[in-house]
Amino acid sequence: MTTVQVQLFGAFSDLVADGRIEVDVAGDRIADLRQALRELLPQRWPAFRAGLLDYSAFADQERVLRDHEAIPDDRRVAILPPVSGG
Amino acid sequence: MHVRSQLKVVERTDAALDPAEAIAFVSDPGFGGIDVFIGKVRDLNQGRAVRGISYDLFVPLVLNGFQQMADEVQAEFGPRLRLYVAHAKGRLAVGDVAVVVAAGSPHRDEAFCACRALIEAVKHRSAIWKQEHYERGDSVWSEGCSLCHDHADQPHPTLEGREGHDHAAH
Repeated sequence: MTTVQVQLFGAFSDLVADGRIEVDVAGDRIADLRQALRELLPQRWPAFRAGLLDYSAFADQERVLRDHEAIPDDRRVAILPPVSGG
Repeated sequence: MHVRSQLKVVERTDAALDPAEAIAFVSDPGFGGIDVFIGKVRDLNQGRAVRGISYDLFVPLVLNGFQQMADEVQAEFGPRLRLYVAHAKGRLAVGDVAVVVAAGSPHRDEAFCACRALIEAVKHRSAIWKQEHYERGDSVWSEGCSLCHDHADQPHPTLEGREGHDHAAH
């Protein structure tokens, strides 16, 4: 089990005041983090629309990380809901 | 080497975006064409009166993405091309400038094409989120393009219709 720090953006940033949460993940892939959040979100924030997770991506500071990729060594990941710039 | 692109994020509390700066940057004695796109906060969204928009950005990823997009546009429409992208961060009021994209080139066709390609990429692929603040006092995060897929500019099917997602309209 590893602890991943997830930086929150968009609708996810409403979950906590400081915009980041720590998530215990069983596994070392982004898919494992997604699964951990799938279980954690409805449990800790039952009012939150957890389905948003299904079409949110993950990233480090340089690029989007796909589900099959490894969680970065520093265990810091951002969650990116659908984007709406401009 | 000549710097061919200026790409940045500007905190609203630091400064307003400046289209004149964009024009100056993409200007060159050899360039006869400049195209500029200015995106502003409008007062109505999906029938609701809007007071303002807060923009949230994952800045390092945004800047990395801007560079990648500029490189792609250079590869397609360059090499004689200068590009400028600036996006605002923080709380903006109606009428404030949210994004400025500019392209300068020897002729107008490359300038138009490059500017259009760049603003579309910025809107659909950048780690940027907007929260609209309505006249009634409530606020809603706008949802646009999912970055889950390899073709990141394609919206997720479940988003179609629910948010009235329309690439031409936002």
